[in-house]
Amino acid sequence: MDFEPKILGIACNWCTYTGADLAGTTRLKYPQNVRTVRVMCSSRINPSFIIRAFQLGADGVLVGGCHPGDCHYGTGNLYARRKLAVTKKILEFAGMEPKRFRVEWISASEGKKYAEVVEEFTNDVKALGPQTKFKIRKD
Amino acid sequence: MSTAVTPYLEMSQAIADAGGEAFRKCYQCGTCTGTCPWSPITHFNIRKLMRLSQLGFDGIEDLMWGCSTCKFCVDRCPRGVEIIDLVRSVRSVYAGGGLLPPPLRAFVGSLTARGNPWTGDAPKRNDWAQDKYPLFAEGKEYLYWTCCTVCYDPRNVLVAKATAEILEKSGLSWGLPGTDAQCCGESVRKVGDLDLFEKLKNNNLGIFSATGAKKIITISPHCLATFKQEYGEDYEVIHFSELLADLIKSGKVTPTKDAGGLKVTYHDPCYLGRHSGIYDAPREVLSALPGVELVEMDRIREQSMCCGGGGGGLWVERAKGERLSDLRIEEALSTGATVLATACPYCIAMLEDSVRTMNAEDKIKVKDLTELFLESLEG
Amino acid sequence: MSRIGVFVCHCGLNIAKTVRVSELAEFARTLPDVVVAEDYKFMCSTPGQELIQNDIRKHNLDRVIVAACSPLMHERTFRKVIENAGLNQYLLSIVNVREQDSWVTEDEDVATTKAKALINGAVFRARLLQPLVSRFIDVNPDVMVVGGGIAGIQAALELADTGKKVYLVERSPTIGGHMAQFDKTFPTLDCSACILTPKMDAVLQSSNIELLTYCEVEEVKGFVGNFDIKIRQKARYVDHDKCNACLACTEKCPGRGVSEWDEGLVKRKAIYIPFPQAVPQKPVIDRENCTFFKKGKCRLCEKVCEQEAIDFEQKDTFREVKVGAVILATGYDLMDTKPLIQYGYGKLPGVHHALELERLFNSAGPTSGKVVMRDGKTEPQSIAILHCIGSRDKNNHEYCSRVCCMYSLKFAHLLKEKTHGDVYQLYIDMRAPGKGYEEFYNRLVEEDVKFIRGKAARVTDKTDNPDHAGKLIVEVEDTLTSQFVTIPVDMVVLSPAMKPRQDAKDMARLFNLSTDKYGFFMERHPKLAPLSTMTDGVFIAGACQSPKDIPDSVSQGTGAAAEALTIVVKDKMELEAATAIVNSAACCGCQNCVRVCPYGAPMFNYEKNVSEINEALCKGCGLCAASCPASAIITRHFTNDQVMAEMEGLMEF
Repeated sequence: MDFEPKILGIACNWCTYTGADLAGTTRLKYPQNVRTVRVMCSSRINPSFIIRAFQLGADGVLVGGCHPGDCHYGTGNLYARRKLAVTKKILEFAGMEPKRFRVEWISASEGKKYAEVVEEFTNDVKALGPQTKFKIRKD
Repeated sequence: MSTAVTPYLEMSQAIADAGGEAFRKCYQCGTCTGTCPWSPITHFNIRKLMRLSQLGFDGIEDLMWGCSTCKFCVDRCPRGVEIIDLVRSVRSVYAGGGLLPPPLRAFVGSLTARGNPWTGDAPKRNDWAQDKYPLFAEGKEYLYWTCCTVCYDPRNVLVAKATAEILEKSGLSWGLPGTDAQCCGESVRKVGDLDLFEKLKNNNLGIFSATGAKKIITISPHCLATFKQEYGEDYEVIHFSELLADLIKSGKVTPTKDAGGLKVTYHDPCYLGRHSGIYDAPREVLSALPGVELVEMDRIREQSMCCGGGGGGLWVERAKGERLSDLRIEEALSTGATVLATACPYCIAMLEDSVRTMNAEDKIKVKDLTELFLESLEG
Repeated sequence: MSRIGVFVCHCGLNIAKTVRVSELAEFARTLPDVVVAEDYKFMCSTPGQELIQNDIRKHNLDRVIVAACSPLMHERTFRKVIENAGLNQYLLSIVNVREQDSWVTEDEDVATTKAKALINGAVFRARLLQPLVSRFIDVNPDVMVVGGGIAGIQAALELADTGKKVYLVERSPTIGGHMAQFDKTFPTLDCSACILTPKMDAVLQSSNIELLTYCEVEEVKGFVGNFDIKIRQKARYVDHDKCNACLACTEKCPGRGVSEWDEGLVKRKAIYIPFPQAVPQKPVIDRENCTFFKKGKCRLCEKVCEQEAIDFEQKDTFREVKVGAVILATGYDLMDTKPLIQYGYGKLPGVHHALELERLFNSAGPTSGKVVMRDGKTEPQSIAILHCIGSRDKNNHEYCSRVCCMYSLKFAHLLKEKTHGDVYQLYIDMRAPGKGYEEFYNRLVEEDVKFIRGKAARVTDKTDNPDHAGKLIVEVEDTLTSQFVTIPVDMVVLSPAMKPRQDAKDMARLFNLSTDKYGFFMERHPKLAPLSTMTDGVFIAGACQSPKDIPDSVSQGTGAAAEALTIVVKDKMELEAATAIVNSAACCGCQNCVRVCPYGAPMFNYEKNVSEINEALCKGCGLCAASCPASAIITRHFTNDQVMAEMEGLMEF
C-alpha cells in the first residue's frame, strides 16, 4: 500500500481556514492527508506547536495565514512570519527535512490556491516517506 | 433524407486528447475571427473550427489548414484559449488519418527522408558557406543555428551569408552546425505530425549535447520559439537580431556607411514578435544604421500582420487575392518606404514572392536586417 | 471526567454522501468521555437542535461536539443551542466535516477516516474546554456611511429615518455619485436626476445626517459598537459656514480644470461646484488649477465674495468620529480603455466610452443633451455600441460587468430618439435578467436596432473602400452567419468594464476587509451574508462589492442600513470572551506582549512588575501568548493545552 502521510495543518480563522472552506464550497478535490487545527491568527502559533506535532508523529506540518499586510489583526502575521522562519531554521538544524514544514499565505478568496498547496505539500511529504526523527514512540 | 446532425463526442474527445482541450473554454464570441488576418480575404473561420471541435461536427477537415499560427487571436482571446494548440491537434487527429493536402505531403516527405523541408541533400547543407566559416566545436561560445531555409532557399542563402559575415567581424567565438543538423521541426509540429517532430528534436538535441552547445543563435524566429518552448531549459537561445542590437550597443560592430536617406519599414515576424516578444531589438538595429529612416506601417508590433508563411503556409500555394503577403506589401508601399526589412526567412520568402508577382520589384526591396546591416558596414 | 455528546449532521446528502455518518456516530461512542453520539439529517434544523438539547438534559452533558459544516457557518447557531439548554456556550466544539471533508473528497473511506480523526481531535480538545463569561460593552448608536453615491445615500436616508445619527462621508465635493452623471435609467427610462436629486436634497435636509463632503477616512480604530474614525476634511479654501451659495465666485474665476462630472469633455472653473444640482451647493477651490495658487496673483473670487468666505490659508483638518457601525458604499471605477489599442480610444476622436455618452445625452451636459461628435456640432448618422470591452475577458476583467447590456440598450434607444441614425449593438451574449429587462430588450429589437452577435475585434480609420472613407470601420465576425463584417460608422461607443476603485485595497486595509481576487470588497457569505464583511460592524453596499445596477445598489443600501441597525439599536453588545489573560505568577516582566499587541491591550503594571491585559481592548488573536517567553499568557479558548490536545487527537489517525 502507498504511504499516506499524516499532516498537521494549522490555519488562521480569517484567511486560510476561510480559503479552505471556499475550496469546499466550490467543490475542489484535493488529498485529505491534512488535519487542520483552527486558530484565530497565525501569530497564535507557538513554535512548540510545530515541534509537538512532529513528536506526535506528523509527517509534515502546514501553516497557513493571511498574506503579509492583510492580517485581520493588522500585524499579527508579520510576527508569525519571522517566528516561523526561525522555527524552520531550527528544525533544519535539528536534522528535519526542510520540505516537511511549509508556511503559506492563503487568503479567504484563494480556495484554489489552498487545494493546490495541499496537493503539492502532500506529494512532497509523501516523497520523503514517514517522519521518524522527532516522533516519540508511545509505550 | 434527414439533415439533422448529432454531436460526435468521441471526435471532440480525440481532439482534446491530442492536446487541444482548451477549445472547451471557447464561448464563441468571434474575437478570434474578427482578429484573424485571413478573415477579410478567405473563408477560413477559426471560431467555427472551435465550434465544430466542441461537438465533433463534420467540416473540421475543410477548415483546419487555413491557419498560419500567427497567434494574434490567442493574444486577444478573452477566454485564454490556446487556439494554436487546437489547430495542431485537429491536424494531428485528421492528418493522422492520411488527410494531408498534397503540397504538405511533399513537405513532410522531405522532412522524413532528408531532415529538411526543401528536398535538399543533407550533405550539401553547408555548401552555401563554401568552407569560409568555422564549424562549431567544443570550447566555442556560440552555435549559429542555420535554419534549413537559409541553407537551401537561394534567396535566403544571402541571409545566411550576411549573418556569418557579421559574426566573423564581431570577433565572437562561434561556429556552424555540421551537416547532420536537421529542421527544428516547428512547422511540422504545427502541421500535426508530432512523431516526426520528436525525431527531429532528438536529432538536434543530440548535436547540442555532442558538441556541448549551450548558447545558440538562431536566424529564424521559428527555430527560436521552438528551441525556447519545446527543447527544454538547458540552452540559452537568442535571435540574431537581439545579438546584433547588443553588438552595436557594446561597440563590437559599428555601422558606418550612410545609406543616404533610405526609407525602411519593418515587418514584425509573428514568431519573433507575438511568439517570442521581441519587438525592440530589430528596431534598435535599424535605428543604428546611418542614413536610414524607419517609417512604420499601421499594423506593427503586437498587432503586426502575418505574412502567411507560418503553420505550414510557406509550402502551400494560394490563389491571388488570398495572399496575406500581398496585403503586407501594399501596406509597406503605402508608407513610402523603398525597403521592407524583416528578420525571418519565411517572411523573406513570402514577401519576396509577393513583390515579384505584384511586379513591385522596382518600388520596394525585401531585405533581412542582417543584409541591411552588412551593407552599412561595407563603407 | 467530562460528559461529552457528539452530534453528527448528514446535511441532507452534503455530508452523508461521502462520509459514512452512522459509522462516525458509532466510532464516537467508543471514545473516552463520550456518553452519547447521534447522527441526524439536519442538525441545524429545529428537530436537530432539540435533539441536542434533549440529550444535554437527558445525559447531563457538559461538552458538546457537532460534526457538521464549517464553524464559520453555524458555530453561533450551535452556541445558542447549548446555551439555551443551560450549558456555557464555549463548551462547544465544531468539527468541519463538510467544507473541509465531504465536499473536497471523492473517496468514502478517505472522507470517513478524516472525519474520525477530526472528531477524535475535537474530543481531546473538548475535555479541556473551559466555560467563559461573555463581556458586554456599550454600543455607540451612530453610524457612518462612506460613499455618497446612490447606495450610500439610500443607506443614510433609511438610517436617518429610524432616528439614528448618520455621518455621510463623501470624498468629492458633492454627493450623487455616478448616478448623477446619467441622463435616463434603464429599463423604465426614468430621468436619473428626477429620481436622484430629491434624495440628495433629503440628505441635506435631514437633521439626523451630518454630511461630510470633500472628506476622506484617514484612520480606523476600535471595533464593532465602538469605532473611532479619523476623518480628513480636505481644504476647500472656502469657509462653508460663511458661504451663502451665491456662486458669484465661480462666475469670475479665470482658472480652468477638467470637469470630472462631464468626463473631461469640457472644462470647469477652478472654484466650482461639480454640477448645478450638487449637494452641497457650495464651491471648493481646485488648488492645482487655481490661478492664485499657481501664480500667486488673482484672488478674484475673494474680491467678489460678499461673505468673505474665501480662505486661501485653509488647511486640511481632522476630526474624530465615534460610531457603532460602518457602511461602505464606495462604488466603482470605469475601466480605462486606452490600453486596448485595438479600439482606438484616445486616438480616434469618434470613439467614446459609455460615461462620455451619458454626458452627451444629459440636458445638463456639455452639449445640452445633443449627441454630437467631438467637434461639438456634427450629429453622428451611424453608431456602433461595443459590448464587453474589458469584461468577460481574461486579459482584463474576467467577470461580467452586469449592467452594460442594459445600458447599451438604453443608449440605443436614446440614440435612435436623438439622432435617427443607425445603431449597431455588437454583443457576445445579451444579458437581461432583471425585472422588465427582457421586455426592454424586445422593445429595442422592435425599434430596429441592428444586433450583431460577435465581439468587436478592431476599430480603425484606415480603409481601401472609398465608400467608407472618413468613417470609423468596426471589424467583427457576425458569428451567427460566420462572416467577417466591416461596419462603417461615425461614432463608436465602448461599454467598458466596471472595476474596483483604484484605492479599494487601501480602504479594505483601513477597515480590515478582505477583497476578492479582483479587488472588490468581500462579503462574509455570498448568499447568506452578502452585506456583512469579516469585520464585525462593517457592512458593504453597492458596486464596491461587485458590479451592480441602480435597483440592486438601492436594495443593498437599504439592506446595509438594516444590518447596521441590528448593531446600533442595542445599548450593549456581547463581546467574544476568548481573550488573553496573564498568569502574573509566571510573568517575567519582559513586556514583549506590550510591544507586539496591535491593540495596546497589554499594559505593564510597574507596581507589581507584571503585564496585565485590558480585556475590553483584547481581540483574542493570541500573538502575545505565542510571544511570551514565560508562557505566562493564556489565550482563552485556544490555550496551549487545548491546541496540543487537539493535535494529539488528530495525529492518532
